[in-house]
Amino acid sequence: MDWSLTRPEQGNVVGQSDDFIEEQVKRNVAFAKLEDLIAWGRAHSLWPFNFGLSCCYVEMATSFTSRHDIARFGSEVIRATPRQADLMVISGTCFLKMAPVIQRLYEQLLEPRWIISMGSCANSGGMYDIYSVVQGVDKFIPVDVYVPGCPPRPEALMQGLIMLQDSIGKERRPITWAAGDQTIVKPTKISKRDELTAQRIQATELREPKQT
Amino acid sequence: MHTAESTVHSQVEETLYRQFGQQQFTVQATADSILTLWVPRSLLLDVLQFLKPQFSMLYDLFAIDERTRQYRSGQPDSDFTVVYQLLSMERNDDIRIKVALSEADLHLPTIIGIWPNANWYEREAWDMFGVIFDGHPTLYRILLPPTWEGHALRKDHPARATEMAPFEMGPERVAKEQEALRFRPEEWGMEKATEDSEYMFLNLGPNHPSVHGVFRVALQLDGEVIIDSVPDIGYHHRGAEKMAERQTWHTYIPYTDRIDYLGGVMNNLAYIQSVEMLGGIVVPERAKIIRIMLAELFRISSHLVFYGTFVQDVGQMSPVFYMFADRERLFGIIEAITGGRMHPAWFRIGGVAQDLPEGWDTLVRDFIDFLPARLDHYDKMAMQNKMLKDRTVGIGVYTQQEAIDWGITGPGLRATGCDWDVRKKRPYGGYDQFDFDVPVSHNGDCYDRAELRIEEMRQSLRIIRQCLDNMPGGPYKSDHRLTTPPPKERTMEDIETLIHHFLNVSWGPVVPAGEASVMIEATKGINSYHLISDGGTNSYRTRIRTPSFPHLQQIPLISNGLMIPDLIAIIASIDFVMADVDR
Repeated sequence: MDWSLTRPEQGNVVGQSDDFIEEQVKRNVAFAKLEDLIAWGRAHSLWPFNFGLSCCYVEMATSFTSRHDIARFGSEVIRATPRQADLMVISGTCFLKMAPVIQRLYEQLLEPRWIISMGSCANSGGMYDIYSVVQGVDKFIPVDVYVPGCPPRPEALMQGLIMLQDSIGKERRPITWAAGDQTIVKPTKISKRDELTAQRIQATELREPKQT
Repeated sequence: MHTAESTVHSQVEETLYRQFGQQQFTVQATADSILTLWVPRSLLLDVLQFLKPQFSMLYDLFAIDERTRQYRSGQPDSDFTVVYQLLSMERNDDIRIKVALSEADLHLPTIIGIWPNANWYEREAWDMFGVIFDGHPTLYRILLPPTWEGHALRKDHPARATEMAPFEMGPERVAKEQEALRFRPEEWGMEKATEDSEYMFLNLGPNHPSVHGVFRVALQLDGEVIIDSVPDIGYHHRGAEKMAERQTWHTYIPYTDRIDYLGGVMNNLAYIQSVEMLGGIVVPERAKIIRIMLAELFRISSHLVFYGTFVQDVGQMSPVFYMFADRERLFGIIEAITGGRMHPAWFRIGGVAQDLPEGWDTLVRDFIDFLPARLDHYDKMAMQNKMLKDRTVGIGVYTQQEAIDWGITGPGLRATGCDWDVRKKRPYGGYDQFDFDVPVSHNGDCYDRAELRIEEMRQSLRIIRQCLDNMPGGPYKSDHRLTTPPPKERTMEDIETLIHHFLNVSWGPVVPAGEASVMIEATKGINSYHLISDGGTNSYRTRIRTPSFPHLQQIPLISNGLMIPDLIAIIASIDFVMADVDR
């Protein structure tokens, strides 16, 4: 779709074209396949479940507040119950005593549902290879995006969210349970590290911080 | 430590000897000079009862698995030792009582009748070591799941998850674990109904937006009135104490950041001061002042999070956005100085990791000039709000005596009129050089606890300004052999230097055998690490005494009889993080 931003003082430019109807249709009607449109809608209205485990949750909360403002990505409608949410960010350490609770909350999330594993503990146990910690939340629930860090900065979580949105936009799901093919096709997972390696190895000079 | 204190010690010692006979006691020398006495099990209750009038607070209670410890010279034979650390606020003094137990007979009488806060500590010692406290009404597991087998802090229990059976969470396991977590009122001595009405039992948590993390509390309700409540913790147990037994003295520092995860380097301070005491390491002036400045910045950061979430929990939705924005500004300074945000792990044994970067003073000055006006603004926006006052004034009240009985420290204690602040009473790490006040209020309710923390932020700003104006020059780390390896260039010249450099860098320092703990005034109350070195490159036993643990234990006392919304205000006003409770 072609569109442009105009300043209000320039007046209404709509209708300057010779063919008013064609212009209006061009500006207001979009053609798309239904499944693309649904995927686009899903990707940009993720409702996160208000769920936190430990330190990472504080950085997750920081990404909701003004400096980072996750609302810019359409993901600020935080729900207190899993039954109203479709995104669960596993923000923090997955404790053994908490695991059955996480499992139950995951089951209560609405389908389709997505999981972001936030931080080293949720990714792999991180620095806590200890008797009371599950070595990664993917030991019992499927994860869509892994965000590294201990804890990841709010920016990192938001990058993870954008990656998830990209992936949801490309995901193909059945339009109805009543008809058609029921398979769910998810795009292949990418590794940001591999993607950026070529660019990163270009750096030849590393700067030392200045000391007093 | 100093002579005045040693005479007090001998007074306590003398009265104990007169009462019970000197032959009953064994004195143990410790690096922190706290009077440590071994007492036979048969005398424990009498001795503690005798000490109660002088030492009003049970500061800590924990166990030690002594079975593989080498350096125990002069200490009675023991497989498991239970330690009672008492604090006297009036006399500013501590005493440690130790009881030796043999593996075949791990029984001790409960001391709940003397100090009510012994309840959770005893449950923890049972959970982690299998010590049985006879007469304890609810000796259930507290940190690990009820289905757990074994006692995790025993030396023969595996430490790593990867040493244990592979993790599995199939439907059967979920059902079993969920069943085990079910709240059973009869286990806690609760009636299910009275003659004319039935109670409702409400499970709040472990995932609930207003319980500040993975904390659960089971409520016995009559309508909306809380008749009784049972806090349930352990959902955040990360095995930090066990972790210390395998990390080297230095590589344990990052784990301390994650104890009170809002306190950042403040946690490092509690830990490294104990190590420094064990190793006899003297910290240079500049390092001391840098540490204090960073610690106070983190106190402000933690209190800002408290402030925002507290007012949010009682219904104001927008202030939290302001407080987090200020916190981001503060993190700008933390990032510039340490490179990290929440967990910089930037303090080192004997100093700090790096010197301050160029331009740090401008950053700090800008922030401390900026914040006071914001705090005034928040005062109008939040604290003067009538609704907030209605929700918090006169709610969650406890007296000074109750606070001391339950081991409450920090702002929660000072809101009851007691001015006990470790920074003033036992100035550590250079606090004696600073001019600041200890805010005190007298009502002991939710509102006072909040107001007091806000005043503490202003006092922290005062301290930071003094750091800024009087930052001493000199080295930022000690030249002690345990903290700083010899210069690399010299390793090529003589073998001694090469050996020391190699050992310090590859294995880490060997801290002399001994025991020490140093209290600090952390963001949430008194925090200390009781370290036992067995003359190795890692700790033999690390006991982390955190302020939030006893604070949560007191919730039933102050919330029973109130309504559920009051409980939410109380939980918010306590200011805890679950990592600081479960460790």
